[in-house]
Amino acid sequence: MARFLTVALTLAALSCAAAGIGRAQTLQRLTVTTFVLGADTSRPQIEVPFHLVVTLNVRERISAVENLELPILAELELLGDERRLEARPSGTQYRETITVVAHHTGSISIAPATLQAIDARDGRAKQYFTNPLTLQVVGGSLEPLQAGESFAGAALDLARRALLWGLGIACVAAVLILALRRRAPPVPPPAVVAVAPARPVVARTLRDELGDALSVLRADPTRATAVTVRAAVWRTVGGSEGETLADVLHRPAAADPRVRDVLRALERAAFTYDADLAAAVPAACAALERYLA
Amino acid sequence: MSVRPATLTAALERTIVGQRGVLDALLLALLCNGHVLLEGPPGLAKTLACRALAAALDGEFKRIQFTPDLLPSDIVGTRVFDQRESAFATVLGPIFANVVLADEINRAPAKVQSALLESMQERQVTIGPQTHPLPDPFVVMATMNPLDSEGTYALPVAQMDRFLMKVNVGYPSRAEELEILERFAMNERRPLHGVATLADVRAWREEARAVHVDEKLKRYIVDLVASTREAGGVRVPAGNGEAVSVASLIDYGASPRATLALAYLARARALLEDRDFALPDDVRAVAPHALRHRIGFNYRLTTQGVAADAAIDALIASVPAP
Repeated sequence: MARFLTVALTLAALSCAAAGIGRAQTLQRLTVTTFVLGADTSRPQIEVPFHLVVTLNVRERISAVENLELPILAELELLGDERRLEARPSGTQYRETITVVAHHTGSISIAPATLQAIDARDGRAKQYFTNPLTLQVVGGSLEPLQAGESFAGAALDLARRALLWGLGIACVAAVLILALRRRAPPVPPPAVVAVAPARPVVARTLRDELGDALSVLRADPTRATAVTVRAAVWRTVGGSEGETLADVLHRPAAADPRVRDVLRALERAAFTYDADLAAAVPAACAALERYLA
Repeated sequence: MSVRPATLTAALERTIVGQRGVLDALLLALLCNGHVLLEGPPGLAKTLACRALAAALDGEFKRIQFTPDLLPSDIVGTRVFDQRESAFATVLGPIFANVVLADEINRAPAKVQSALLESMQERQVTIGPQTHPLPDPFVVMATMNPLDSEGTYALPVAQMDRFLMKVNVGYPSRAEELEILERFAMNERRPLHGVATLADVRAWREEARAVHVDEKLKRYIVDLVASTREAGGVRVPAGNGEAVSVASLIDYGASPRATLALAYLARARALLEDRDFALPDDVRAVAPHALRHRIGFNYRLTTQGVAADAAIDALIASVPAP
């Protein structure tokens, strides 16, 4: 079940990422002020749930956010997903909180979330990217002691953290007191606040998409995944819904022999008989690896 | 290592210049145990293709020129009285061959056409009290000339449906025609012999039957055939440049036999490409040939100036491939 949820999220993300390409006519017109990806901890513990938070602030009053693509979370298990849209004086804040859990220790890289929208400032379709995230999954609470770390060291670390928290609280209190003591300045005439636009990052490349496809196919080597990955890769090379392999192979993006190999291998994985699937999916992974090498 | 169908294709291509459609149709019909209807002007290597195929398989080739005075017995055979033996003897007709070219099939009256089509369907011929099985493999390639319709008997729709596929044969390109000149007028022809055997063909047929057709592909085939009956919303450019509804041009759509034909042909095409699973490309490639003669277009097709193939292409394009 856990694996199913993980794969479902990754597939949804991959599918959405591919589907988003080439539908500028349905993009929302937005003034993006901030678009960030965060986590409630940079060092989550194994088997302990934590949260990833995607925050989007726009100047417009909107009732839904479209064309927002979540990052691929192939190495985490999805436990829940909560979305909240809040109207604010400065516009609207969209906040999506994804509850996940890690089952392995080590470093996890999470790709940026993306948003496709028409920039209300210049009327151009843009793709906005959040920051990527790198998390370090560590062992359970008893692990440092079990790993040989001394009790004294752990206590010292705790004391250091408490000191830092205390200093932080004191600084905040000092700033608040100073601010309250200052006379309020005269109200300035309303001025246009110059808000730096969120950085439109360069669109993801075919290489990125095929890399994601490889991760997904490796995580769940089934026919359903192969079919989804095939559709996503097709859209990435410019193919549209309802075309056949021959049509897609005529696309300029499919001119590279390695891409053609990938397309053919995915076609086999999507349509071959069940007994051949065990060979067809690894062959598709191998074709993807050859492209990425 | 047995011979593969691709070897036969390559050998035939060395003999026939261009006309890949005719060669593919012949090989697909051979693998599906079906028959082909070819429509095109004379002189396009149809006879040569049939003869080359029979020779390449070391099989027997017969050509029957259909004329208005042809009799069913001229095709299937007859019984003659042998005066020396004082008994009737059976003389088998030219239909007893592996590859039969029924040239200008629409020039013979209905009962002759019917005799041929019954033999094609039953794969046996009854002459007097005896039933004679036809050889295996047995492929009939019937031709119709679209240019000269005077004195012809149109094939009834029910009989057209018995052909697995109908292929429109066009003129070769200039480059192909130059090669035809080079190969046949300037050089000596190298006849094909024994590229594969009739036993190989029977083995390939078994292989073709085992080619996997995925569920998604089956639904695609059914959707394609259904689109010929419910073509609402599909439009095609008419002669005056305006788009007309394809549904208004069709009296009746393809039968379930078309569904079966599409599946057989898709499997055979996959085998020709050395695959043991069919792809949407296989279905789409054979769809025009399997549907062309099974859709009943009405008079509006002509009055609106729409090409039948353009309407069929629009129908096929309207069904998204899986």
